Amino acid sequence: MKLEHDWYPADLPTAVSIGERSWLYSSYAFLHFASEDPRAVTIGDDTGVYVGTLFDLGSAGTVEIGRYCSIVGPIISTNARVTIGDYVLIAHAVVLADDPFATPGMGSSSSRRPRGDIVIDDGVWIGANTVVLGPVHIGTDAIIAAGSVVDADVPPGATWAGNPGRVVRTGVNRMD
Amino acid sequence: MTGSSRRSPHEQYVSCNMTADRNDLDGSRDLTTLPPNVHLGHDCFVERKDSFARFRSERDPGVVLGDRVHVSTWTEFSLEPAGFVTVGDDSVLVGAIFMCAGDIRVGKRVLVSYQVTIADCDFHPIDAALRRADAIAIAPEGDRTRRPPLVTRPVVIGDDVRIGIGALILKGVTIGNGAQLLPGAVVTHDVPAGATITGNPARVVDDQIP
Repeated sequence: MKLEHDWYPADLPTAVSIGERSWLYSSYAFLHFASEDPRAVTIGDDTGVYVGTLFDLGSAGTVEIGRYCSIVGPIISTNARVTIGDYVLIAHAVVLADDPFATPGMGSSSSRRPRGDIVIDDGVWIGANTVVLGPVHIGTDAIIAAGSVVDADVPPGATWAGNPGRVVRTGVNRMD
Repeated sequence: MTGSSRRSPHEQYVSCNMTADRNDLDGSRDLTTLPPNVHLGHDCFVERKDSFARFRSERDPGVVLGDRVHVSTWTEFSLEPAGFVTVGDDSVLVGAIFMCAGDIRVGKRVLVSYQVTIADCDFHPIDAALRRADAIAIAPEGDRTRRPPLVTRPVVIGDDVRIGIGALILKGVTIGNGAQLLPGAVVTHDVPAGATITGNPARVVDDQIP
């Protein structure tokens, strides 16, 4: 499949599915894509995946993104699983990785074993220049301040900041 | 991926006033089209031509890459006219942004992960009055010859160093052989050989990455 608006002359990998009314900036996002999973990348409805985003997935890497997300150019470099919920905002120059020294296109089940999954729950907001290192779980509605390093679980509703990162504000009650 | 030697008319696309030539973007381009003062060793890989879009070095050589150096897509060689960068054999640059007005030297078998910035200069004066003079000189129609002189201090990175995602290495820093910088480290002082360093500001930690 080709994207109608694409400036990069490549097909989307067959393992990629994109929901209704969603936007993906270019097939260039898959420049280093090496996943062998038949459903490696799933993008839900009404979600935007904008310029600069890269899916640098190793042979076992998978990414699932929910609905109403704005994904503004992160690099996702993993040979494990990345799960992003609904209503998630990911800002400019963010890296989601399963290895502190991640490299693209070198994933293979023998040479690079999964270090850990990344789970980002509904409503999370990840600020610019943040590094998220799996295995890690970011709870519902948490905010990750710009420039943070996230290498431990973040509770729902909390605000996380800094390097080394820590919770700087604890949970806010959700309206549900 | 298709081979580099054959090109169909469909490989040239125009969109939003931007042209995309696949060969400039996926590493299959002829490397001799790089500037003549970029010296490459044997079997180097440079994925994206625009890694040299802000290369303005007037030195010869301005950049030296050793044998089998791998330069991935988001790497940038942003060199001022007096800039010089050398990278040793078998190093991997995933997303290294070199901001260089003097000398940056990277050793052999060095791994630089995503979105790492290495700068040998602040590119503007610290002093408030000089900073205003600089701001005037770099205005769109300013006179850049009136810029205050840039202060540069060489950055030296030893062999077998590993630099984690998003690290920032600033002017005058020497990193010893075998050291590792954990993600997001902001490094303004020398790092001893074999040390692991993390945080902002970065400091040495004991725990090793398994």
